[in-house]
Formats: sequence, structure tokens, C-alpha cells
Amino acid sequence: MARTGRQRGGRGLAAVLAVAVLAGACSGGEDVDVDGEGGGDGGEGGSAGGTLIAAISAEPDQFDPHKTQAYASFQVLENVYDTLVVPDAEGEFQPSLATEWTTSDDGLTWTFTLREGVTFHDGSEFDSADVVYSYNRIIDEQLANAFRFASVADVQAPDPQTVVITLSEPTPALLSNIGGFKGMSIIPEGAADEYDLATEAVGTGPFTFESSAAGGVTLAAYDDYWGDAPSIDGVEFQYISEPTAALTALRSGDVHWTDNVPPQDVESLADDDQVELGTTPSVDYWYMAMNQAKPPFDNRDFRRGVAFGIDRAAVTEAAKFGAATVNQTAIPEQSFWYHEYAPFEHDPAQATDLIESAGAATPVQMGLMVTDEYPETIQAAQVIQANLAEVGVEVNIEQEDFGTWLDRQSQGDYDAFMLGWLGNLDPFGFYHAQHVCEGTSNFHSYCNPEVDDLLGQAATETDRDARKALYDQAAELIADDVSYLYLYNPDVVQAWAPGLEGYEVRADKAINFESVRLPE
Amino acid sequence: MSIEESAETPPVTRQHRPRWLETLTLLARNPLAIAAVVVLAGLVFAALLAESIVPRDDIFTPDIANRLQAPSGEHWFGTDELGRDVFARVLAGAEVSLRVGAVAVGISLTAGVVVGLLAGYFGRWVDDTLMRVMDVLFAFPALLMAIAVLAILGAGSTNAMIAIGIVYTPIFARITRASVLSVREEVYVRAARSAGAGNVRIIVRHVLPNVTAPIIVQTSISLAFAILSEAALSFVGLGTQPPDPSWGRMLSEGRGFIEQAWWMAVFPGAAIFVTVLAFNVLGDALRDVLDPRQRSAMKGVGA
Repeated sequence: MARTGRQRGGRGLAAVLAVAVLAGACSGGEDVDVDGEGGGDGGEGGSAGGTLIAAISAEPDQFDPHKTQAYASFQVLENVYDTLVVPDAEGEFQPSLATEWTTSDDGLTWTFTLREGVTFHDGSEFDSADVVYSYNRIIDEQLANAFRFASVADVQAPDPQTVVITLSEPTPALLSNIGGFKGMSIIPEGAADEYDLATEAVGTGPFTFESSAAGGVTLAAYDDYWGDAPSIDGVEFQYISEPTAALTALRSGDVHWTDNVPPQDVESLADDDQVELGTTPSVDYWYMAMNQAKPPFDNRDFRRGVAFGIDRAAVTEAAKFGAATVNQTAIPEQSFWYHEYAPFEHDPAQATDLIESAGAATPVQMGLMVTDEYPETIQAAQVIQANLAEVGVEVNIEQEDFGTWLDRQSQGDYDAFMLGWLGNLDPFGFYHAQHVCEGTSNFHSYCNPEVDDLLGQAATETDRDARKALYDQAAELIADDVSYLYLYNPDVVQAWAPGLEGYEVRADKAINFESVRLPE
Repeated sequence: MSIEESAETPPVTRQHRPRWLETLTLLARNPLAIAAVVVLAGLVFAALLAESIVPRDDIFTPDIANRLQAPSGEHWFGTDELGRDVFARVLAGAEVSLRVGAVAVGISLTAGVVVGLLAGYFGRWVDDTLMRVMDVLFAFPALLMAIAVLAILGAGSTNAMIAIGIVYTPIFARITRASVLSVREEVYVRAARSAGAGNVRIIVRHVLPNVTAPIIVQTSISLAFAILSEAALSFVGLGTQPPDPSWGRMLSEGRGFIEQAWWMAVFPGAAIFVTVLAFNVLGDALRDVLDPRQRSAMKGVGA
């Protein structure tokens, strides 16, 4: 991991780390629950028209796909940019800007054949030079996702329709690294100088970026799109931060779609015929981390005591009202990479013993940093506080705004915090940056050389089963050491107007309106 | 000497009943004021005894199995999203609100009165300097100012008290100064000065007692504002931190559940309403009885 992003500490860095599985790796993937007509047989006719209005909870920080780490930005960019390959709803990689690819026998050379007849929204032709430019921009400027190219030695364009990626070591996660999410988008050669990419967007996707204002973003259908052109005329994203307000807007017909659904409403919405509800288990996970640079949190027994002291089921229920699954590792059940391992059960007696054996004077004071950007952390924290009060740990809940929260996290100025990682598909994304000693997202100072070793081997192991075995071992060590105290995998919950067709809810929360048709 | 004086003094005190007693008597004739006092006494009682009336567990310990229960015999005000008893939390919230209100107003009262006394009494550059500072503070909208202060100090109920205290200081300074300006020209102040009394003695013994009436009225009204401000700050997450019960925070949490559990927002909201109304009514009544002109009219009617 020589190359790491220098964009740490940016808003939303913890909010998004999207990595996808390598091709054919993920057989899991729960079927997507779409009421009525599911699936993506795109609207060829284009006759229906109309503008889809989507309510999202947060405002994108910027629109440069290579720099932003905010989920809100990717909700918009998903519809504007393309990547070489793209995960389908099951997490398997399908052709996008690349139509096919081959791997050399030693696994070190990947050759991609590019799609012909693709144009950018500014009218310029798409070719291999754009790919080389985009990837080199990420690598050379050490942008947020540079670490995904850590094993990439060289990106070459032998002819306009071919790109060759040369690796320094086998990288089974390469497809997920270059196509897992729109952070690896292809931009036109020279775009960074020609355009202000933070406020403009020039992609090859189904929608063009029209305008951005304080209240939202407007996209228009791109008539020369290489795939089936969208049947709707455009998409308008509106920012509605209050979940109840978003739901009211959906009910009253002011918006067609929202992902800002209050968890407590999920149950009642299932029977609500004014609203279609789509849910599917996500690939996100939420966790608590203790600062291992500080006593007594550096003590493994103490952390294990805390792990035994927390009633995960109650925390999960408090935070998500049933729209989540308790888990003691990061990777959800539906994934191929899931490893069933649950060493901790709620056991206050054992927790008290472990915490006392750790030698700190009880009650131990522990600040728990939460943020109102994610209200579920505040609700979960209150349950954790009550749980730990029984085992000799006095939790002080510290509610910060997210900016301050991120600052304190990156400076190590905290005892413990709770947050989630969103959108991971490949185990590399789930474990590597968070748990290796020098990991770029290892804000809690965890260091176990054995884990480093296992994760290092797993990153280059090309045999899928052998790779899984390595990750399983690493996951057990990480859970046993309580590097992260994993809590739950939430469900993706989205809602839309009855009659909206062609939209599918995805585990990786990619939001694509390409084949959507509006209700009459 | 003592014999001579005692012969002379008693008739004076007998002629006029103590002023505070007279004030209370007048106040007691106002039924609204009585109601307000009763409500506030109840709140103080609740605040002091909340934790002995309701079990601590009801206030703090989540009970997920019993979340969002409607009001019933067991839970008078229902339960919240973590299964805690809303009645217990509203009761315990009285303590938070009154404590923040009292400490914050204590800060602004002390600071404001000292500034007002100094500015009004000494005039000239002391007046100019102090009152311009107060004007600057006064120029900011109260809540924005409090949010700015909390942004610097960090969120929390202690800092909220300080922030609210700072915000309401200029009002006390202005009211005090205005009264001092007229009092310092009174004959008895000049008499004291010509008798050789020092500034401190004059301010404390002769000026301060004669400017208390408007300050008392302002204190009651400011308590209402301070409690409202604490609720507002907690509503936006800057005041009282979870899991401590604060009416503002409960209101903010209840907002997301208004369709499933109206009781989560309605009862804390009602508590804020009743408390603020009580302080305002009391403030109004106090103003009526402390204003010299109103007072003579009321005495006339009563007699």
C-alpha cells in the first residue's frame, strides 16, 4: 500500500468507501425486492418523457468523481459518468465502457477492449487516451482513490480501442477497483484543465449535468448515449435532509423517489399503497471503534469486556427498527465473503470480569463520539451507554457535527466512536485500509502483525477459495481483538411513487435512473 | 441615644407595612399570578424530586421491547423510541430546564446589573465603553449569538448556560442603567455624597435598592426566554446532550415519530409551553404591582 490518498479528513470519507467484487466473485446477492415490474428493460421508446424528481438527504460536496468521497455526490454522478466495467445488481462485473477484457496467465497484464461509438457530453469521442488520462490523474495527483491503484505499475494505450494495465503483483480485486463505483469514472482527456470539475460534469453516462443550485441538481437525458437512451427527459435531485419531510413530499407527489426514509416508518410503509417500498440487505456495516492509542482502550481484555457487555440485538433494534441484521464481522450474510463468526454474546458477568482484569479503576470513563449527521449513532449510543453502565464503564455521549467529528477522528482525539462504512463489495475494501497497522483509514491505531500478514496475502491471492480462507482468518482475528466492534448490516431502504417502473434497489446503493419510466 | 431613637423610629415602620409584604399582598389579589406561582412551585418541586419520584431506570435505561407505547396507566405519557417513560423524562426535564434557566439568568443578572450600575453611576467614558460593548452584544439575534458561542465553547448544557447568560446580559445592563440614571440625581444620593459616603457605599446602599423593581420583572421574563433558548439549543443538538432529558431535545427526537407516537413531542412541548407561560404571567403580574403608578391605582381599588 505505497500509494494512499492524501485527501484524508475530507467530509464524508467515512461515508463512502466503495469497492466491488471481482468479476464472477459474488454469487450471493439477495434478490432485489421491487414491487410490480422490476428489472431493467430500458425504455426504448422515449415517448413517456417527464422529469423524475428524486429527494436525497444531503448536498453533494462537489462533483469531481475522482475527488469526492460523499455518497450524495455519487448518487448524482452515478447517472452522469461511466466506468470501464460496472457491477450488476448481484455485484458481478459487466461490460460498460470496456466490452471485453483478458488477463495474462501470470495475472499481471489486463487488456481491455473499449466500446466504439461512445461520445462524451461535450461531443468529443471516447478512446483509450481518456482512460489513461483519467487513471493517471488519480495516481499522479494522489487523489482519494489512488490506493486502489497501489498494485498498478503502468496504464498503456497501444491503440484507440485498447487499454493495457500492467500490475506489479496479482490483484484479484482489479475489476472492483476500477469499476466498483463512480469514483473511478472516465473523464475526457484534459478535462481537469478545461472544466471546473468540482461544479461541472462531462461524462459518457445516460444523463448530462445541466445545473446545480442550492436546492438541487438538474440532469437531462443524453440523446447520444451509447446504450438505450433514457425514456425520461431528465432527473431533478432535491436535497431534503429531514426524513419525515422527504416522506411527506413523496406522499404528496412532490417527488417521485427518495432514499431518505425514516427507519421507524419502514414497517408501516410496507402496507401503504401511496408509496412503493424497496428494501434489500446492504453491503454497509456499522461499528464502534475504541482508540487503541489510549489506555485502557489499548488493552485487549478491556475491549473484549466491552464487546461482551454490549447487547447488539438491542442496539440494532434501537438504531434501525428491524431494518438491519446483527453481525459480529463486517461482511453481510448475502456475500460470498461472509464468514459466520460470532464469538461474543451479551454476557454482563463475563464483561465485568474482563474489564476488571484489565486493571483500570472502575467505573472507566469512555467518551463515545456520535454525530447527528447519522441519527442512528445517537440512538445506538444510548443503548450502548446503558449496557456498559452495568459492567463498569461510564459512557459519555459526545454529539458533534460531522465536520468536527471527522477532525477529532483523524487527530485521534477521542476515546471511542461509532460510524459505518458504506458500499463495500470486495473484502479488500471491507478490511484492508481499516485494519492494517499503517492503514489509511486505521484511525483507531489497531496493529496486529498477523492480521497485516493475512490481509497482505489475501490482497494478491488469485484463487477465490484460498483468498476467502485468508480473509476468514483475518476476520476472526479482527473480531477477537475487537479492532472494530461490529454491530450490524443495515438494509437499503428506498421508496418511490406507485407506478414508477424500471427502478431497482441495489445492495451497493448505486442509484441509476437510466431505465426508469414515470407513472402516467 | 438608643432610647431617644426607639421612641422616634417605631411609628415610621408601623405606618408603612414592609414594602415586600405589601407587594406580595397585591400580587396575591391577581388570580393569574397565583396560578403561575402554583405551576412554578410544582415545577421546582418536580425538578428537585424527579429522581426520587420516578425510578432512575425509567428516565435513562432503554427498554427496546417497550418502545413507542401509547399513554396508558403504566406509562402516563407513553414511552419514547428507546422505550423510556416519557412522563419520567418530562419530569426530569424540568430539572434541566430550570437549572439552565436559573444559572443562565443568574449569569446575565449579575453581569448585567454590575455593568448597568457602573455605566449609569459613573457616566462619561465608563458608560460609553461598557454600553457600546453591550450594544454590540445586543445587535446579534439572541439565538444566533448563543449558537456562535456554543460553536466556540462546544456543545453541552454547561456551555449552553454560559451562552444564554452572555446573550441576555445586555438587557439587564440597559434596564439597570436606565434606572440608575434617574436615581443618581435623587436628593438622597446627593445627600449621601455630601455626607461623605464613598461611591461603593452609595451604589450598594442607595442606588441598587431603588432600581430593583424593573430588574425583578426582567428576571422573571428572562427565565422564560432562557428556558425557551435552552429548548431551542437542545433541539438543534447544541444544548443538553443525550441521554439527559431536556424538553427541547425530546421535542426534536419526537418530531421524527410524530406519525407513530404523537406523545413523544406533545408532552415535552406542553411542558415548555406551560413553564414559559407561567414565567411570563408572573412577570406581567410583578410589573403591575411594582410599577409605582399602577401600584397606587391598585391600592386605591383595594382599599
